[in-house]
Order: sequence, then C-alpha cells, then structure tokens
Amino acid sequence: MSSRVKVKQANRMVREQLARERRRRRTIIVSIVAAAALVVAGLVGWAIYANQAPPASFATPAHASKDGTGIVVSTGTATVDFYQDFLCPICKQFESQASSTLDSMVAQKKIALVYHPIAILDDRTNPSGYSTRAAAAAACAADGNKFPEYFRALYDKQPAEGSAGLSNDQLVQIGVGVGLTDNTFAQCVTSQKYANWVAHNTDTAAGKNIQGTPTVLVNGKQIQNTVNALQQAVG
Amino acid sequence: MQVVRLWGATAARLGLAVVFAVAGWSKVTDLAGSGRAVNAYQLLPFSLAKVVGAGLPFVELMLAALLLLGLATRFAAAVAGALLVVYIAAIASVWARGLSIDCGCFGVGGNLAPGQHPNYFWDIARDVGLLAVAVFLLLTPRTVLSVDNYVLGEA
Repeated sequence: MSSRVKVKQANRMVREQLARERRRRRTIIVSIVAAAALVVAGLVGWAIYANQAPPASFATPAHASKDGTGIVVSTGTATVDFYQDFLCPICKQFESQASSTLDSMVAQKKIALVYHPIAILDDRTNPSGYSTRAAAAAACAADGNKFPEYFRALYDKQPAEGSAGLSNDQLVQIGVGVGLTDNTFAQCVTSQKYANWVAHNTDTAAGKNIQGTPTVLVNGKQIQNTVNALQQAVG
Repeated sequence: MQVVRLWGATAARLGLAVVFAVAGWSKVTDLAGSGRAVNAYQLLPFSLAKVVGAGLPFVELMLAALLLLGLATRFAAAVAGALLVVYIAAIASVWARGLSIDCGCFGVGGNLAPGQHPNYFWDIARDVGLLAVAVFLLLTPRTVLSVDNYVLGEA
C-alpha cells in the first residue's frame, strides 16, 4: 500500500470519527429536548385537570348524609349505602330486583338507606355528561322531597349507553311526572346546580376505592349485588 | 437485509405511534376518569393516582408525536418500552391480587361489574408484544421518513 492511500484512509477514519461524535452529541441534545417535551406534556395534563377539578365549596342538597355524599331516604338500625350511576344498566337491574325488598326494609325501619349518585359513565353518552346531569337532577328532586320517586322514574326511563342521554327538559318532565311541578326544580335541573356536588361524590367514592357501580355497602362492608346477599347482610 | 431492517424499524416506529396516540386520546377527554382508572389499580394513594391519571394521557400523546415524527427515536423507543414495562407490572400485580378491574388502557377503567370478567392475560400479551416492538426499535432506531435523519446528520 502506498503512503498516499494510507493517508487517505486515515483521513477518512478521522472524518467518520468526527461525524459519529457529532451524531452522538446531537442525539443527546435531541433526547434531552424530547424528555423535556414529555415532562411538559405531563405537567400540562395535570394543570388542565387541576383547573377542571370541582371547587372546594359547592351546594349540598337537602337530605344529604352526614358526610355529605349521599341522600338519606330512611332511618333504621343497619346502614345501606348504594352507589349508583343513572346510566349504568346493572344499577337499573339491581334496583328493579331489590326495590321491593328495600321498600319493606325501609317500611320496617330496618335500614338507613343512603343513595350515593356518582358519575363514572359520563364518557358513555354522546355528548358526554348524562351521568352527571341525571345525578344532579336527582339531587334537585331531594330538595323537593321526592328523591325516591324521581330515582325510580329515572331508572324507568334510563337511556342506552352510547345515546345522547335524556335532555335537561326531559329530566324536568320526569320530575313533573312525580309531582315536582314547581319552577324551583326546573331551574335547579337546567342550571345544573348540583353538578359539583356529584363530582365531589364521585371523587370521594373513588378515594374509598368505590369505582364501579352498583356498589352496595351494608354497615360499611361491600356485599354482592343480589337480593339474597342484601337480606343476609341486613339480617 | 439492511433495507428490511430499515423498513421494519419504520413500521415499528409508526405502529407504536398509533397505539400510543389511540391510548392517549381515549383518556384525554376524561382526566378525572383517567385518575380513577389509575386509582383502581390500588397501587398509588388516590391523590397521586389523580396526578398520574391526568398527566399520563398527555405524555402518551407527546410520545406518539415523537414517534410519528421520528424525533429522538431511540429515546422515544426507550420511554415507550419503560411505560410498557410499568403497565405490564401493574396489570400483573392487579391480577395477582385478585382485583377485578378494567385496565383502563384505552379509556374506561374502574372496577368491573359482577359478571364481567377481566382480560388480564390478553392485556399483558398485547403489552408484551408492544414491548418487543419497542425493544426492536430501541436496537435499530434508524428509520426512513424521520426527522432524526435531518437533525442528527450522517452516521
């Protein structure tokens, strides 16, 4: 090999070495930029959520439970907490199976029945948000002393998942059907007075690891969603 | 052979981009729900789960954007792989503890109603498959149609 060729070869090696160096350096810089972009994206998400989070102060409806996250419909020895979403088909199913049992337990003053309307299926209507609107409307019905009646009427007319849900006007009309004829109720429903209360309930329930509906607790202990389990737990 | 690797890596890059874009997008419309989905794993205290749940969809979307552009491909592949390892571990832990939840991988999340059965095996199988793709991309980050080709210069 002539010395000229050797020099050329050596030059090329140096050039390649430098190019590799440059590429490595740029890779590191670009990676740092990318990492920063990911961190910023995460912070943006957190900031958006923090902005959406329900305010610390919100209106609480009449007949609210002691912790403020439920509607008390009866007094009795055993406490039954029923967490439900008005769009949830299994809630409707459980409610229709258990309603007569619950009614007689209420009549015999065996149970303090507390309904906790929460909204975990807001995403399943189009436009989203039926769960919240329905639960907020139910709270308005509590103000009008018609919560149990309205509750049942809402399940009777439950819209399908994936539908638009019931409109606020329809929610008002259902109220009229159970005797909530005054303007206060209609205004309460259309202004979504208790939407933040519902968000608070949902958040509080999730904090207690109640993320599914229906969830039924008897004296604080979760039971299977069957009439049998309910009767056994209440005794 | 070189060409096959080049196009294979490109397909891996774009495939991962699509998966993370779909996963991020499905959660970004309901950040509170995303936080509840993270909380359902019962691995983090609720306050922390809310932070993770709100941030994660945006991180996934940004990661999808990096992969789509082919910017910092090796780094993005490493992050994708790391996320998938965390997801696999979290689902496995839920499975081991006998919890009955929706993984929330593509939205929804939360506890399953009685009568619904979780699909942990398939969730994990899917994530392991995606992890293999991410590792492949990590090892061969050179792809066609990528911004890296312009930014990083000749190899």
